Amino acid sequence: MRLPGFEYLNPQNLDQTLDMLAEHKDEAKILAGGTDLLVRMKKGLLAPKYIISLKALDSLSYIKDESDCIKIGTRTPIADIIASKPVQKHARALFQACEKIGAVSIQHYKGTIGGNILQNNRCHHYNQSDFYRSGRQACHKDGGKICYAREEADRCNSTCQSDGATALMALGAGLTLAGKDNKREVELANFYTTDGIMPFAMESQELLTEISIPKTNGESAYKRLAYRSAIDYPIVCAGVLLESDNSDKIVRARIVVGAMGRAPLLLANAASKLKGKDMNDQATFKDAATAAMSSAAAFAVHNVGSTLEYRCAMVEEMVLQALKEI
Amino acid sequence: MEKLQITLNINGKDQALLVQPNDTLLEVLRDELDLTGSKESCSEGICGSCTIQMDGKPVRSCLTLAMEAQGTKIKTVEGLANGDELSNLQQSFIDHGAVQCGICTPGMLMSADALLSETLNPDDTTIRQALSGNICRCTGYSKIVEAVAHAGKPEKSCPDCQTKE
Amino acid sequence: MDNIEVTPNQDRELSVVGKPIPKLDAAQKAMGRAEYIQDIKLPGMLYGKILYSKFANANIVKIDTSKAKALAGVHAVLTGEDVPKKMKMGFIKDNPPIKKGRVSSFRDEVAAVAAISLDIAKKALDLIEIEYEELEGIFDPEKAMEKDSPLVHEHLKSNVLKMPWNIHYGDVEKAEKESAFVVEDKFTTTWVTHCCMGTSGAIALFDAADNLTIYSNTQIPSLAQKDFLESLKAMGLENKRARVIKPIIGGGFGSKLDTYAYEHIAILLAHKCKKPVKIMFDRVEEFNATSTRQPTVIYIKQGCDKNGRLTFRDMRMVLDNGAHTSWGATTPSVMLMPISSLYKVENVKYNAKCVYTNNTYSQAMRGYGNPQATFAIESSMDILAEKAGMDRIEFRKINKNQSGDETPQGLKITSCGLEECIDAVKEELKFDNNSEKGVGTGIASLIHVGGGARIYGSDGCGAILKMDDYGKVDIFTGGTDMGQGLDNITAQIVAEELGLLAEDINVVHSDTDVCPWDVGAHASRSTFVAGNAALGAAKKVKKKIQEFASKILDVPAKDIKFKDRNVFFPGDPEKSMPIGKLLRKAHFSPNGTMLMAENFYDPDNRNMGKDLKGNMSMTYSFGAHGVKVKVDEETGKVEVLEYVAAHDVGRAINPLLLEGQVYGGVVMGLGYALTEEVVHQNGKNMNANFRDYKLFTAKDAVKIKAPVIETIDKDGPFGAKGIGEPGCVPTAPAVANAIYDAVGVRIKDLPITPEKVLAALKEKKGD
Repeated sequence: MRLPGFEYLNPQNLDQTLDMLAEHKDEAKILAGGTDLLVRMKKGLLAPKYIISLKALDSLSYIKDESDCIKIGTRTPIADIIASKPVQKHARALFQACEKIGAVSIQHYKGTIGGNILQNNRCHHYNQSDFYRSGRQACHKDGGKICYAREEADRCNSTCQSDGATALMALGAGLTLAGKDNKREVELANFYTTDGIMPFAMESQELLTEISIPKTNGESAYKRLAYRSAIDYPIVCAGVLLESDNSDKIVRARIVVGAMGRAPLLLANAASKLKGKDMNDQATFKDAATAAMSSAAAFAVHNVGSTLEYRCAMVEEMVLQALKEI
Repeated sequence: MEKLQITLNINGKDQALLVQPNDTLLEVLRDELDLTGSKESCSEGICGSCTIQMDGKPVRSCLTLAMEAQGTKIKTVEGLANGDELSNLQQSFIDHGAVQCGICTPGMLMSADALLSETLNPDDTTIRQALSGNICRCTGYSKIVEAVAHAGKPEKSCPDCQTKE
Repeated sequence: MDNIEVTPNQDRELSVVGKPIPKLDAAQKAMGRAEYIQDIKLPGMLYGKILYSKFANANIVKIDTSKAKALAGVHAVLTGEDVPKKMKMGFIKDNPPIKKGRVSSFRDEVAAVAAISLDIAKKALDLIEIEYEELEGIFDPEKAMEKDSPLVHEHLKSNVLKMPWNIHYGDVEKAEKESAFVVEDKFTTTWVTHCCMGTSGAIALFDAADNLTIYSNTQIPSLAQKDFLESLKAMGLENKRARVIKPIIGGGFGSKLDTYAYEHIAILLAHKCKKPVKIMFDRVEEFNATSTRQPTVIYIKQGCDKNGRLTFRDMRMVLDNGAHTSWGATTPSVMLMPISSLYKVENVKYNAKCVYTNNTYSQAMRGYGNPQATFAIESSMDILAEKAGMDRIEFRKINKNQSGDETPQGLKITSCGLEECIDAVKEELKFDNNSEKGVGTGIASLIHVGGGARIYGSDGCGAILKMDDYGKVDIFTGGTDMGQGLDNITAQIVAEELGLLAEDINVVHSDTDVCPWDVGAHASRSTFVAGNAALGAAKKVKKKIQEFASKILDVPAKDIKFKDRNVFFPGDPEKSMPIGKLLRKAHFSPNGTMLMAENFYDPDNRNMGKDLKGNMSMTYSFGAHGVKVKVDEETGKVEVLEYVAAHDVGRAINPLLLEGQVYGGVVMGLGYALTEEVVHQNGKNMNANFRDYKLFTAKDAVKIKAPVIETIDKDGPFGAKGIGEPGCVPTAPAVANAIYDAVGVRIKDLPITPEKVLAALKEKKGD
């Protein structure tokens, strides 16, 4: 399959990159590893006029172990994150998520953490060849006015299947977005729009540059379900974080469910079931997992393979498994 | 579209080329340089038939722009043998019956070669993990895994290897 | 024609046959130097591209190709109007390569272009304007059989193909009444596809005299040649020649058993453009426009007496034919084999209907109907054993096939290692030791044609053998290597017979200008039929060498032996000579002679008669598979822990390649059992890519044990039987039986996905 034509831009540093983004805005797309972007281009889902490569921006590839947080440059290869001792120690959920991304031959060179977070939402009615899409009305994400996944839907219901984002949201990570004249930080949990067409709350001239994971006294875990052991996106996934006090009472809990909505779902209601409970209270875990299922079910549509009923049931199971692992 | 001049280092040699920005490394290898060992099978980064190495790491050349490959050391299946002398890994693939139709073979070899350059004597799980991004429809993987295990032994003897009698 | 005895001396010591000699083209492939259709470029070559229908069922109201034709770089644009009326594909000729007026599935071709580059060809397709009038489609074969169903082909007046498969051996009704135990179930299987790692493609070119050469990924060079000659005739090019060259191909598995539209379109474009035209599929096209294994709805009823002997088997099937007819429609002929002959059962009834729908049409795929039929039969065997209160392995052994049997269909079992296979599986897999929660074991057996399969008037294969001045052999075979290793099998058989090494044999195949005729690589027939053809040629040349050497060495011809590249007379070390030297003497002498031979082997098997009886194969392959699985009762996921695949192969000519066939077959079968499914929604393929079509990865697959049972078949070359397909036949029922053993739920619908298992578990628990 051929890629559509574009102009290739190869900035040598961050400033140049931001200048180019400011100049070309919507007409440009950032190329990191290319494992998501180039596939969508080959399928004819988008044809940017400019491709801005991050190839020269080695300055965006780092993992810094700071006193209160871990900072990760967005162009850091997935493999570096898997191999990182601080990540393994303080952000186990992220480590577990990264291990599941693609396959070894994608992780260690091309796949980047920034690319994984910004991996575009997917839908089995949209992520298709032109062979499939021809002869039908375009859906919301394809520039049209209908949704094949949910009848009468007024907007796009494509699903965020990022392993990394789900784990990072559970860890309470923050993002740094840089623009030509500004730089801002945003909680990952607040980074999403509620529209699958453009799921990320960022401007077209902004670049995602850094991820910051706060260190806590807690433990985290990530679980996902897919048909195969490799090269599959999750059909359901869950990231959890639990902090306890000296007497094993849970003082803070975060439960995030992925692959069930337009963004990873931070489920406060489910997490609230855990607060004040004992870390070893398995019955409470079950309550929380059940609550997670009912919350997540409201968001999901049948659009990433499997059946909706099954995916909803598996939310409970993935959350439970993740909680039990802590 | 205007063609751009680039230099790629392929199998130890610098090659001057004219490419379009949207040419993938796979297309340039196959169409411009007649290095047709690397195969296109899925063209979207799943099957691994197009796997080559960049700086020693296995990479899907179907999802790599030729422009992006500048400045790296590219190795293709054609670069595995030393002239006509096959690498241990290639020989092991042949001896163990790891080659059937052969389309996945170049990509499998490049992924396995990268694994063996980092890991001595990998076990079954490690090998299957390293090859999990390379799909094969003919062999059921068993013989490929055996071949990699054999080539990865520190010595050239392989006790569980039936083909070396 | 002089006939030659092909039965070998089975007791003699073998030096090449039976050895794990690596595949002859493996080095080329491992060096990236093997040339596939993907890699071939010819001077002046154009790139062809096909436009497909936008609807599953529609009238084509208007086509405007003027903009495409005007695009610089475009050499030709074709529509259905440009296709000669008589140019049609499929054995009932219901499928023109480009459709005119009406499309009846999404894969229907509506136009094609040839251009100087692929980019331009694609652009040209985008410029073709077509107005459709969409019609209601029919996608469920059982609904398509109903009276008021819309018709896929109106002129046929019915969606049911006029090809009734209807048999009744013995008296099923009576046997049912007399049975102690009877079980009845419905099973369904869906579309799966070959997923050859090398996609399909062809290059067609004409010489100045309008003779065609076509490079194509075919499994049937000779029969493809016949199809192409018919196309040439339809194009007004009667009495022209067609040369079919099959380069190295990236897998077949049955997918290339018929000719496809892309080949015929390449021919039309090449003729129009007077230039070579290459059409190469990408993966999306491979999924959408090549064929699948046919989906089936299967109703099975079978019974046994109080001692566990099978009394009858009654099966009915509905097969989704898709919109056009290819070999998928004749798979009942092979389904009949396990239905009538897997285990001893005297009373058998079978009825199958193939029904037109607006889905994709089906083709041959590894096992040719056998995997579907065996899924139902072997699942039902476990259900019946349980109802009869019998051990499932014992139950199978009570009913086992044996050599000397003639089955109700008229199949003559000449060698049979089924019991040994079952025992080998039992030995390797501990069946009664499943104490771990969610862990279970399953077993299933198979019968398959192992000595050719007479589906055409001939089941024959030719071979020509010649030798050079240095004792090296060129053998030109009608057989086709597609990665499975026929090149090795041929070389090893010939080397064994002539006392040479495998490396002395050059196997030339798949070029109709050079190679003799053959009906193709199908039905696991190549080792048996092409092997016997080669063996016969070798024996003829051997005889000639003996006669010539007799004069030179002055010993009786019949006493001359062949070993280590020498001919010799046992007992006198002086009477010996390198074969090469002997050949030079034959060539370089007055009144010299050339030592070569041709041989045509057509097995003594039978076409099925009108009563659908007949011994279609010279011998039958048997096998038994055992699998241990672990079912995650929370997610429904099934993990394969251990796998044993025991096969009666007659003789292992090459154990290395034999294992390759079995391992590969098993993993393909595991995909069929657990993960693979072409999802069609109203005729549209929803998962035409390797991300969403779930092939096993190396991490999902397990190491397989493959005990080999050698029964040394009397008719096979050195006793060998076919083994290409059997590896994927009993896999799905073995897995289904293991899941039942593990968690007590019976899944009757393939693939056995986690959601189906979980739903069944919930139902069982009464949720």
